[in-house]
Amino acid sequence: MERGRRTDRIAGALLLLVSAGYGLEASRLQADFLADPLGPRAFPLLLAVSLGVFSLYLLVRPDPDPAWPPPHVLTGQLGMLVSFVVYSYALAPLGFLLATTLEMAWLSRLFGASWRTGLLGGLGLAVVLYVIFVFGLGIPLPLGRWWPA
Amino acid sequence: MDVLAQLAHGFEVALAPLNLFLAFAGAFLGTLIGALPGIGPVNGVAILIPIAYALKLPPESALILLAGVYYGAEYGGRISSILLNVPGDAGAVITTLDGYPMAQKGKAGEALALSALSSFIGGTLAVIGLTLFAPYLAEWAIRFGPAEYFALMVFAFTTLASLAGKNPVKALIASVFGLMLATVGIDPGSGVPRFTFGELKLYDGVDFLVVAIGLFAISEVLTLMEHTFLGTATRVKVETALVSLKTFMGSLWTILRSSLIGFFIGVLPGAGASIASAVAYTTEKRLVDREGTFGTGDPRGVAAPEAANNAASGGAMVPMLTLGVPGSGTTAVLLGALMMFNVTPGPLIFEQRPEIVWGLIASMYIGNVMLLVLNLPLVGWFARILTVPRWFLVPAIAALSFIGVYAVNNSAFDLLFMTGIGVVGYLMRKAGFPLAPVILGLVLGRLMEINLRRALAISGGDYSILYASPLSKVLWALAILSLFFPWLAGRFAARRVPEGE
Repeated sequence: MERGRRTDRIAGALLLLVSAGYGLEASRLQADFLADPLGPRAFPLLLAVSLGVFSLYLLVRPDPDPAWPPPHVLTGQLGMLVSFVVYSYALAPLGFLLATTLEMAWLSRLFGASWRTGLLGGLGLAVVLYVIFVFGLGIPLPLGRWWPA
Repeated sequence: MDVLAQLAHGFEVALAPLNLFLAFAGAFLGTLIGALPGIGPVNGVAILIPIAYALKLPPESALILLAGVYYGAEYGGRISSILLNVPGDAGAVITTLDGYPMAQKGKAGEALALSALSSFIGGTLAVIGLTLFAPYLAEWAIRFGPAEYFALMVFAFTTLASLAGKNPVKALIASVFGLMLATVGIDPGSGVPRFTFGELKLYDGVDFLVVAIGLFAISEVLTLMEHTFLGTATRVKVETALVSLKTFMGSLWTILRSSLIGFFIGVLPGAGASIASAVAYTTEKRLVDREGTFGTGDPRGVAAPEAANNAASGGAMVPMLTLGVPGSGTTAVLLGALMMFNVTPGPLIFEQRPEIVWGLIASMYIGNVMLLVLNLPLVGWFARILTVPRWFLVPAIAALSFIGVYAVNNSAFDLLFMTGIGVVGYLMRKAGFPLAPVILGLVLGRLMEINLRRALAISGGDYSILYASPLSKVLWALAILSLFFPWLAGRFAARRVPEGE
């Protein structure tokens, strides 16, 4: 296996696994009564077989690898994703304003702003969005479970 | 004439104060979204759906707003193409070829004015085309049975596969992935839960909005992380946007031809604005570029792609409204939005919900006029948007995505799911898998399966019903032909088509 076409080979192998798993799960489906000759199984099985065939093609005829980002970019992207997960869980307890200010400050920092600018920008954005959504559009956003009402 | 009466009724809907305001808001936000590199029409529409939904707008008003963003973005995309040589969205890539050289020669104002006029003519001609063709296509499509519908959807996937991205097999994989996502949830035919793994939240199926925003907006934010070094323009200067009558008349035939090309490419299921602008540009280059000035700042090189991409976005509405089969990634998102409002586009919508179709069509006439006014005198104001620093812009996109998804169900699960889909979308982008087919698959999956099962229920399990009628034979033939099209075209010219919207 020459270097340079690994991305598609890995993708092909993963997709083959997905099609096998999806097909297996589909084949276990059972309906109590059949309203039509095909039932709930046929269409998913058709998809599983198609995906299997296409991923085999990808394994046999892979494209050249794309340029994956250098390590410092990957670290930044990872930092971004981790913050998304933390934000998802922190939104309800911390409330929209605090959680969003902190999240935006962190993201601004990843995009090259200083902490100070990031915090100020994040606070401004959070307040403006809060006012627009809650007062302007009537869409409720969490105030935060941790704060006394 | 019947069409005129219907259109008059549509104008009654579109001229209601709320809808007039929404058409303006859509046009304004669309220009803004198009102008900003990083958010294109798909992201913009996806991010605005939850707002339209949470505001409990009637479906026709929501569609007027979202469609305004869609065609408005095709106007805005040209601004950064011309001023910065950075396309604002995929449909404006070609505009950089002659737009930026014109700006370098000090003719930025002329390029902006000419492109705004081209956009207006392309956009308006496309709405006229939509007005004339859509009702007839809908009348004809009423005769479609389940077998014809199934074949039509296969055709939509194969044209998208052959046109979006470089590797058709990767586009087919993306389509199947979208269709697989659509099978999650309770099976409408038998009531059996499928692929839910006992998770109650998945019984209703995968939330279309969460997937759309994750796939486009979150993956875009991750992609932008790679380009932090690009920086932003610190100063953008635009003098008044004016074009001389002579230059405009010199481009008039180019504009008209490109509008026609754009409209018909837009109507094709699967092909959108980016392909239309590329085809129009190469056609004009072949036809009128006698002195070899294309690529060096020829006004016609700006007019052609701008007329075509706006005409394509109008054309893409035709199959979406009449057949319920979207013609581009963005119209797939629009279709998904309509389904959230319990409206299923298709031939019957013209009879059952005329206020939606005709209200939308009428609003597109109004919206295009608004866009012309917005984009001629106010272009300097929009250009100033380009100086917003990246460290603020990208977090703001992320914040809007999170609020949008959270507003629908107030659920942290949705936010995590969106993040996960965003990672998948990013990896797909990097590895050359187009994203539009995923959305098309997710939106069409249920209909495709229902039509397949209905067809076989009619025939009692005989598969020949799928290709029995002459119409379905034609559709299958077209589907197969479209798969071999890139290979055939590749034999004539080794030309690559830019990735779909």
